Amino acid sequence: MAISRKCVPFTPFDRELSKSTIALVTAGGVHLKNQEGFNIADELGDLTYREIPPDVDSSHLMVTHHHYDHSDADRDINVVFPIDVLRDLEGEGFIGGIAKKHVGYMGYTMQLKAMYEGTAPEIANEIDKGSRADAVVLTGG
Amino acid sequence: MKGIPTVLITVSPEVSAQMRPPRALYPKGFKIGNSLGRPNMRELQKKVLRDALRLLAQNTRPGSTETILYPEYGEQYEPPHVRAVK
Repeated sequence: MAISRKCVPFTPFDRELSKSTIALVTAGGVHLKNQEGFNIADELGDLTYREIPPDVDSSHLMVTHHHYDHSDADRDINVVFPIDVLRDLEGEGFIGGIAKKHVGYMGYTMQLKAMYEGTAPEIANEIDKGSRADAVVLTGG
Repeated sequence: MKGIPTVLITVSPEVSAQMRPPRALYPKGFKIGNSLGRPNMRELQKKVLRDALRLLAQNTRPGSTETILYPEYGEQYEPPHVRAVK
């Protein structure tokens, strides 16, 4: 069922953070260096996404996105995809754990309907079914 | 799907508000490409992520954006604005 564009899709969070597992979803064009990059040649944008495993070495991540200056993310991916920061918070006991699956996509598209009705629910389903996340932190570029 | 709680860290609050995110943190003055702060400023990055995660546990108004100032970020940037429809 499609979500109304007029409503705020608010899901309550009724857990303790220290017992919760967190996933990251970024529109910042983040992916593994050995994954196919996003198609920046297509002026309509790229509707695909990449799964990022929880044990990823952050130095193995990169950005393919031509609609923001990602030179800072090239130096430290945590400025848009805070996987090492999340690990620090897990170590501190601030959160309970890191989800089994994270997602990167390129948050630029001229195909809004396809993104809204296709890609977004697919990503939500990946996270809902495959990550065991209790909550998700979303970041842009 | 029963829904999953989310919190957005946005550096373009006017733009992201158009998609009605249920919870959002705007680290004031951070430039695009610096959602968590500047490279290798791990303490700042942790602070921003903790603040975002806390929004999950707080009883925030659905659709609201929390603006927080982080002076240690340094130079501030103006976020992009949404053009008014004529």
